[in-house]
Amino acid sequence: MVSPLIEVDQLSKRFETTVAVDRISFSVRAGEIFGFLGPNGAGKTTTIKMLTGLLRPTGGSARLDGYDVTRQPLQAKRIFGYVPDEPALYGKLTALEFLNFIGDVYRMKADAKARRIRELLALFDLQDDAGSLLGGFSHGMKQKVMLCSALLHQPKIYFLDEPTVGLDPRSAKLLKNILRGIAESGGAILMSTHIMEIAQALCDRIAIVDKGHIVGLGTVAELRSSGGQGSLEEVFLTLTATDEERRLAALANSV
Amino acid sequence: MGSVAEMIALTRWILHQRALAARRDWSSQALYAVVISAGIGLFTVIALGSYVGARTLAADRALKLLHSIPSWAFLIYLFTDIFIAFGQALGDLYMSADMPLLLVMPLRTSSIVVAKFVAGVVQNEMYVAAILAPFVIGFFAGTHAPLWAYPVALLAVAVFPAMLYAVLACVTILALRYIPGRHAKETLWILGAVVPTIFWVASFSGISEASGDLASIHLPPLPNWLPSTWTGNVVAFLAQREPLPAFGWLLCLLFAAVVVCPAALAFISRSFERGWSESLMVPKRAGRVRVRKQLAQLPWIALLQKDVWVLMRTPQLWFSHITSLGFVAYLLVGHKAQTPLMPLTIQLAMAQIGFVAILAGLNPGMTALSLEHGSAWLLKSTPLDALDILKSKLAITWFQTAVVVTLGAGAIAYGYGLNSSGAGALVAFALLMALCSVCCGIAFDTTFPSFHWENPNSINRGIRMVVPFLAGVAVLLVCAAFLAMARVLLHGAEAVVVGLVLSLLTVALVAERTLRTALRNIAALEL
Repeated sequence: MVSPLIEVDQLSKRFETTVAVDRISFSVRAGEIFGFLGPNGAGKTTTIKMLTGLLRPTGGSARLDGYDVTRQPLQAKRIFGYVPDEPALYGKLTALEFLNFIGDVYRMKADAKARRIRELLALFDLQDDAGSLLGGFSHGMKQKVMLCSALLHQPKIYFLDEPTVGLDPRSAKLLKNILRGIAESGGAILMSTHIMEIAQALCDRIAIVDKGHIVGLGTVAELRSSGGQGSLEEVFLTLTATDEERRLAALANSV
Repeated sequence: MGSVAEMIALTRWILHQRALAARRDWSSQALYAVVISAGIGLFTVIALGSYVGARTLAADRALKLLHSIPSWAFLIYLFTDIFIAFGQALGDLYMSADMPLLLVMPLRTSSIVVAKFVAGVVQNEMYVAAILAPFVIGFFAGTHAPLWAYPVALLAVAVFPAMLYAVLACVTILALRYIPGRHAKETLWILGAVVPTIFWVASFSGISEASGDLASIHLPPLPNWLPSTWTGNVVAFLAQREPLPAFGWLLCLLFAAVVVCPAALAFISRSFERGWSESLMVPKRAGRVRVRKQLAQLPWIALLQKDVWVLMRTPQLWFSHITSLGFVAYLLVGHKAQTPLMPLTIQLAMAQIGFVAILAGLNPGMTALSLEHGSAWLLKSTPLDALDILKSKLAITWFQTAVVVTLGAGAIAYGYGLNSSGAGALVAFALLMALCSVCCGIAFDTTFPSFHWENPNSINRGIRMVVPFLAGVAVLLVCAAFLAMARVLLHGAEAVVVGLVLSLLTVALVAERTLRTALRNIAALEL
């Protein structure tokens, strides 16, 4: 049995009177790509932000390769790479300066840093833009730089919040291959997405989140069988339907 | 909808939106109380100062000087307002987040430009209420002006800033139309700092050279084409109970502000869309660069290096440093005029450079963390601890302020003819006060971080910025009292050293308290 790299236990986040994430639990094993699906405002980004240290949980715990994210934040942060939903980067830095900065923050050795930057710039076809200021980059190019920064220190764990948004089809395909490669070499990936095709094609297991709760968890086949053999999209729509939508669906079926 | 109706509707909508945003910004009652108290204090000081000044000059029959004061006062305001208005014109027209939304709506560009202009002018009325209104009230009270003169003069000062803002908006639109966007923006920022600074120093130099007795002395006449002269004439004629010329100048002001400025802006707005489009053009790419092996840095040093690059490449961030050096020039120019009133001592020079340091450190400190902008998530999701972040933020803010105040202290020491130990004391005190100022600023910025700004000069702007400023000034007053006390009780170098040591202890205490607060705030920061 492979031990989980990401363990989330009863994790909660409350903003004053609103409960954004309510006692969710799941784990992601080494070699697994774990999809996080859910409608807007379901709590996907809040969960990822708690796991990456951007928000403090108000309840429960989370461990990354055994390190508690609230009690051992620095050790936990050293072993993951993160791509947020918005590629906000320092506009006054060049791509190369930015990647060198990230390498230093993760205490990479000079040789390894230079070699890895060269590899990633070539992989994402950014060599010609490495000396340009990030402020002039398009959304997609910024997203590529973000991916380079997350991959730079070769972490065990990846948190990717909508990683394919803004990428052209070639880069999206490249990303999928990279993620599959990471998983095959023993990494764990937690990825949120709205695109069912990507989730279906890439994720080993999927959690469907709604109103801060996990309403469905399993492989695509397990989710489909639990939802009456419909497509993943149908399962998603059924599990995340509002009471009003359920009432209308029942009414439509009875006619 | 007609163009005027559209303009009015859009203006109302923008003003409503800004009022809502301002109301939501003012959630802290303590902050509200501090700011209101500071505003009332400023109002009272200006009103009392102008009342006492006008009354003294009137009693001494220095009427020529008395009646030349309003035009000069408004000219000084006009040039000082350039600091704010250039940035505001750039911010409102080219860097505001709602502009892309407005431009894709079925609205005339002229309506957008004029509505933004009116909203900008209304925002400027805050300074009119805090600075110009008390001046007029005090001046009229001191000259026993009739009661009906007050509303007339207040109307004149209320419309006066519109002209400056309209001219700067036109200059900005034309600059961005004909000069590549990036260069135009940076140049306008620098001009906004340099032009008023040169004006201030040159004017003060002229005034400090003035001689003669009080009855015959008067300030040099000012050109009649300046709106500040028109406003000054309204106030001066009303104070002399001459309504006819006063109303003539008031009509001029109203016509220019209400008819000419919006019409000129509506006309020039044809260039706006093109300039807007040009300003969004992506800068030329640098081309392929070789990835060379670079020395690995400690995380906090890497963060510091990143901040140095950002500082070097963002001329807006030099703005406060230019004005601080301008203040040093002002002190040097005023040295001759000030010495007969207040004899020069090393302690006085230390207090003066201390004030420059408080000013110079204010902006870097108050923006230290907020400058991270949308990239703030990087600080919290990477293995940088709160102390790493604080160390690098303190280093970059103190370093840049230290460079400016060391230059300033050197210039003052040279200009005042101090020896090398005097210069050393000046530099040491300036560095201490710079540390105090940036620490107060960092504590404030980490308490109220603002990562969603449109340009770096709009971070922590508005009346709220008086809080760290007042904190810095309070510490300076304590240290100045120690310097003065040491001078009374001891002599020569010994007095300076004791004063410096006491100041060091005070600043150390302030730094310890403020940095502890900042560290706690950074550790607790959620994004």
